[in-house]
Amino acid sequence: MAEETVQKVIYEHEGVFIHSSSDDDGIEQDLLVSGSLRIVDRDGEIIVEYRPLEDTVDPSNMLCAGKDSSSVMEWAQSPGDRSQQLLETQQSYETEWDMINAVSFKKRPCSNGEGSLNHTQERSRWAFTFSVCDLRSLTVKEEGWTFLLFKLKESSTSLPALHFHQGGSREFLDSLRKFALLSESPEDITCLLVSTPNKALSQSFENLLDDNNFGLVHKFRKDPYVTTLGSFSKVTNYIFDAFRGTEEQHQRPPEEVADLLGEVIPGLEINQQEEPGFEVITRIDLGTRPQVTRREPLSAEYWIKHQDAEGRMIRIPHLKQTIFKGGLCHAIRKEAWKFLLGYFPWNSTLEERKALQRNKTDEYFRMKLQWKSLSEEQEKRNSRLRDYRSLIEKDVNRTDRTNRFYEGIDNPSLVLLHDILMTYCMYDFDLGYVQGMSDLLSPILFVMENEVDAFWCFVSFMDQMHQNFEEPMQGVKTQLIQLSTLLRLLDLAFWNYLESQDSGYLYFCFRWLLIRFKRELSFQDVLRLWEVMWTGLPCQNFHLLICCAILDSEKQKIMEENYGFNEILKHINELSMKLDVEEILQKAEGICLQVRGCKDLPAPVSNILGFPTEVFISDLTESGPKSGPGPGPRPQQLQDACSSVQEHLRESSSHNGCKVAFIS
Amino acid sequence: MTTKTSLLKVILLGDGGVGKSSIMNRYVTNKFDAHLFHTIGVEFLNKDLEVDGHQVTLQIWDTAGQERFRSLRTPFYRGSDCCLLTFSVDDNQSFLNLGNWKKEFIYYADVKEPEKFPFVVLGNKLDVTERQVSTEEAQQWCKENGDYPYYETSAKDSTNVAIAFEEAVRRVLAMDERTDHLIPTDTVKLHRKPRSAATCCS
Ligand SMILES: Nc1nc2c(ncn2[C@@H]2O[C@H](COP(=O)(O)OP(=O)(O)OP(=O)(O)O)[C@@H](O)[C@H]2O)c(=O)[nH]1
Ligand SMILES: [Mg+2]
Repeated sequence: MAEETVQKVIYEHEGVFIHSSSDDDGIEQDLLVSGSLRIVDRDGEIIVEYRPLEDTVDPSNMLCAGKDSSSVMEWAQSPGDRSQQLLETQQSYETEWDMINAVSFKKRPCSNGEGSLNHTQERSRWAFTFSVCDLRSLTVKEEGWTFLLFKLKESSTSLPALHFHQGGSREFLDSLRKFALLSESPEDITCLLVSTPNKALSQSFENLLDDNNFGLVHKFRKDPYVTTLGSFSKVTNYIFDAFRGTEEQHQRPPEEVADLLGEVIPGLEINQQEEPGFEVITRIDLGTRPQVTRREPLSAEYWIKHQDAEGRMIRIPHLKQTIFKGGLCHAIRKEAWKFLLGYFPWNSTLEERKALQRNKTDEYFRMKLQWKSLSEEQEKRNSRLRDYRSLIEKDVNRTDRTNRFYEGIDNPSLVLLHDILMTYCMYDFDLGYVQGMSDLLSPILFVMENEVDAFWCFVSFMDQMHQNFEEPMQGVKTQLIQLSTLLRLLDLAFWNYLESQDSGYLYFCFRWLLIRFKRELSFQDVLRLWEVMWTGLPCQNFHLLICCAILDSEKQKIMEENYGFNEILKHINELSMKLDVEEILQKAEGICLQVRGCKDLPAPVSNILGFPTEVFISDLTESGPKSGPGPGPRPQQLQDACSSVQEHLRESSSHNGCKVAFIS
Repeated sequence: MTTKTSLLKVILLGDGGVGKSSIMNRYVTNKFDAHLFHTIGVEFLNKDLEVDGHQVTLQIWDTAGQERFRSLRTPFYRGSDCCLLTFSVDDNQSFLNLGNWKKEFIYYADVKEPEKFPFVVLGNKLDVTERQVSTEEAQQWCKENGDYPYYETSAKDSTNVAIAFEEAVRRVLAMDERTDHLIPTDTVKLHRKPRSAATCCS
């Protein structure tokens, strides 16, 4: 390592310390090693070097943790180490210390002559060097000063902690950022993963899946300092620039760099070279996206023409297709929604429906009476109902209040909203009332203008949405996973960008999914979107393709402006009321056709969208055959589909290992 | 560590309906919208201000208060510089829940020294006449829980809103200064047998 090579010092700082206890001889002695830390560019390889002061370095004694030299290095970790105990007395409440505790370390060749090491040996054994590309992660700790712990890829043990008693850690990290992407570990806020964006995501997913008491997105967020102060975007910029550079050198076939959804982001290219150590990501050629057109809303006349003499609906598939393509004109919604939502069976006669409504009216008022007839005393002893009521009262006052239907203080519609939600608590006491439900009911009540019909239509809608509101929030989590899977397989470049900003789990779509875009679109547009979705066409989970369509329209801005975690969240939140429903539906249908036309569609995509999956791409998911070929999964098979997606993600997470995909 | 950052993250916590979003909107846009939707998910707004000569960008985070959404809001607690515990003076339950909010925050924000963390307590809806929580009660709670500053606010008529945020900023800045000041002391403490580099290497 001491040989003369062309090298450029990028960073240099003295007064960097190693704390150790030389406990080899059993004598408890705290040792403080002072030294200098450097980052050097040696013929293009970026090296981190630590040398103790006055180190008359014996090169053979220097530890090299190069790519293929991991065997040279052997740090022995002794958990009962003195320095650890010392630190623990300072930080006893700090559990994280267990993980990052300073370790005593020895280099194997030095393990001879215990207690008899002379100072030169004693000191030089602390020297170490490694290449930045071998660095897996960095843990940044503050204890009045900053100290850093390094973890290398090829080694399961840690290098000694470096203590920056005389400052310089920030500069060190900044210098490192010029050569590597440092992203916060989802596991540990203090841990920066070096250039391993894919890994971070799979971990996120594991968090999603193995959700226990800590909850869904625990540890998902981004350190606001890192993101907002722009250091992150600096890094991304750097990488973008780097890739622009590569692009000039290796002209790749256009289809390789073309965005999977058919849109090329100017100035952004993906590193798809099959370099060793780089994950090779399977890309699917989706072909071009077909142009689709939307049609006129279905008219009342047209609807009536599709009833037989006894009032049964006829040519139902055609009817649904027409609704899918253009929605309904408002006059017919009150009637048609009851069918779309499943309150009325399509093949029922007018008489049957009247009978049904009579029964349902009785049933409704019976349930309504249950809470209406509770005395104040009773309710005092029923804390759950009391809590539901208080939530409902608060939310009813904050749901669509600018809509004329719910405007003003003494608006009777507010009472209906309240009463239906209270009655729903009686209908499904386990679920009760969860925030977001008032958003789902409001458009239905607006269309029905009738308490009982609105209630039963709401019940039907809730049947679809129930999981979203259940305790572990599984419904939304599953959808986020599915959406992420779709996006990853359909729009890798964007997914990778999001992932590089720690947003690969698409948290920012939470509100979209929880209440089906209710807050994102104008009230009238919500009516349109929902009736289209209720047709169940053109594929299963069409709402996820709607998400893809919206994201597709935003990705250029997000990537060009280099948005970080917070900015992405803000940008998506602020799309609310700025979206055009027809545009979105058109795009989403186009994506659906495009994907359906693709021959080698990965199984997870087919499963999510409910396409027949005769052909399984076994290299994408080993668990593919488990969910079994055959007809496209129906709702009851959705569970299988989900688990296969989850396994797929787990699979890829374990495959990723140390491999790095540097993208966007 | 010693580098001063101009970006401060504050988070508003408290029961659903106490007025977190209204307070945030009043402060950032100086508007009160009685028809605001209840919050779903997580939102934040930025506001630049100057406190005692320090230029600060406040990043104010607002989440949904309902229990069910806990797992979706808690990830955003991390990295907060200050937490505004909010209740509504016309809702005793929201006051009783302050302790839970504090606990939830400390746990998920992974606060290193909870005793020192700057909390500020807001009793909102000061303008309403039917109070359920008295000023004294609230002050008592603040005193017992760590001597937190307490402000009675009204997002509706804007009373004390800006003052409360400015106090939050002051608390954070004061924390920073104290930590900076402590560095040398701590350093000495850690090395029970301090050795200067020179001693070691001679
Ligand atoms: N009189 C009065 N009403 C207020 C005040 N602040 C908020 N409100 C009202 O209280 C209700 C709840 O306010 P929000 O700001 O939505 O409450 P929140 O804490 O954000 O609630 P969640 O989003 O559900 O967690 C709304 O109807 C507001 O108009 C206030 O200072 N005075
Ligand atoms: Mg709110």
